[in-house]
Amino acid sequence: MSFKDEILCTKSHEYIWNKSVIGLTDYAIEQLGDIVFLELPAVGDEFKKGETFANIESVKAASEIYMPVSGKIVEVNESLVDAPESLNEDCYENGWLVKIDPSDNDEFSELMTYADYKEELE
Amino acid sequence: MVKETYLHDKHVALGAKMVDFAGWHMPVQYSSIIEEHKTVRENVGLFDVSHMGEVFVSGKDATAFLNKIVPQDITKLAYEKAVYCQLPNLKGGLIDDLIIYKLGIESYLVICNASRIDEDLNWIVRNKRGMDVKIDNQSHNYSLLAIQGPKAINLMKKMGYDIENQKSFTIKPAIIEGIKLLASRTGYTGEDGFELLVENEYSEFLWDKILEKGVEFGIKPIGLGARDTLRLEAALHLYGNDLDENTTPIEAGLSWSVPKDKLVNYNGKDVIMSQIKDGVSKKLIGLEMLDRNIARHGYDVYYNGEKTGYITSGCVSPSTGKNIALAYVKNDKDICVGATIQVMIREKLHDAKVVKRPFIEKRNRV
Repeated sequence: MSFKDEILCTKSHEYIWNKSVIGLTDYAIEQLGDIVFLELPAVGDEFKKGETFANIESVKAASEIYMPVSGKIVEVNESLVDAPESLNEDCYENGWLVKIDPSDNDEFSELMTYADYKEELE
Repeated sequence: MVKETYLHDKHVALGAKMVDFAGWHMPVQYSSIIEEHKTVRENVGLFDVSHMGEVFVSGKDATAFLNKIVPQDITKLAYEKAVYCQLPNLKGGLIDDLIIYKLGIESYLVICNASRIDEDLNWIVRNKRGMDVKIDNQSHNYSLLAIQGPKAINLMKKMGYDIENQKSFTIKPAIIEGIKLLASRTGYTGEDGFELLVENEYSEFLWDKILEKGVEFGIKPIGLGARDTLRLEAALHLYGNDLDENTTPIEAGLSWSVPKDKLVNYNGKDVIMSQIKDGVSKKLIGLEMLDRNIARHGYDVYYNGEKTGYITSGCVSPSTGKNIALAYVKNDKDICVGATIQVMIREKLHDAKVVKRPFIEKRNRV
């Protein structure tokens, strides 16, 4: 069982693992290209599903990152902010963005498995 | 319908990420923009810029005609020389920026931006009334391949081309790998290099040959993404970002390309000359961000708490790692090199320092 089998994804290319760890899918990173900037929220910030909680920029463009489910930020991957280019190598194991405490368990049913997400892309 | 260059299938086969650009389906990157950028700064890169427009201008009045539509003095352009110039409207605003090459007596090649070819032709034809001049848009018949980087000369030599004979900003008919073409020592990267204008049917053969012979010089195909970061480091203007119909060459910091002593009249001359004499209300500046944030096209620029202008182009500079940008600001003498200004990014002001343009040392003077 790989990590990708355990994540749930959004159409806007975010993933959430173990109902807490949020990041961007490898497809999203691949599409963005060289990542050069990342802005993450503060611990304690609360966001609703679909709200912008972070900003990412590649050489080419700036993009927003949306909450896959509603919740409160409990941990932030600060080391990524100083080395956003490492996302191009790994966006899962060390490349997660934030951990949250979700506020509405029902919202998880609206997310896709990684396999369904990949299918949706094709 | 989106157009494809004759090299389109080459790009796809090389695994390029393709995007729509100015109505063309073009490669934005093959591997990584940063990697491709460094290849051109350190070795040599190959670009397909066949989307650019090629217009041949000839006839008894060709020189007089071109002299009427650009600020540069075309009567002073020598045989086989190239000149960078602009196509102003009657108010001095820019319809496009161009390179004009003199191919012979009353015979010129004009290279223009893909996004502006229709506007250019419309304006050119409107201005030729009563003059003996033939406007021949050959954009659809030619491919343009750019070889750029410090090792471009090595590669050209390897392909049997006598580069000693050709200085910067000149064009010559040549035969390379058995193909008749026009070779100009120009580019849009801040590096030494060549642009090869070749009939479409030979472009795929030439593309393959260049990549094959370039292996020993570390050649890579380069997409439009790196083309943009390369030109921005060199502070070369991009039409649509840094130039438009409401911006004159003087405001754009292009005074060096506007002769002060040209006697004949040209479109927009009154406005352009009065700006040289009386000054301008806005000016183009170079910026370097003081934090990790990147200033992008369209962001507002503030000075002393007041909005003073906007960013026209911005990116991370792959050569220096700094975040650089071009911006138009009010022509305030205090907004000078060394001054600190602010850029509004995601509703917050971020400090930036005004710096000299270009952002990297010029290395392409031959």
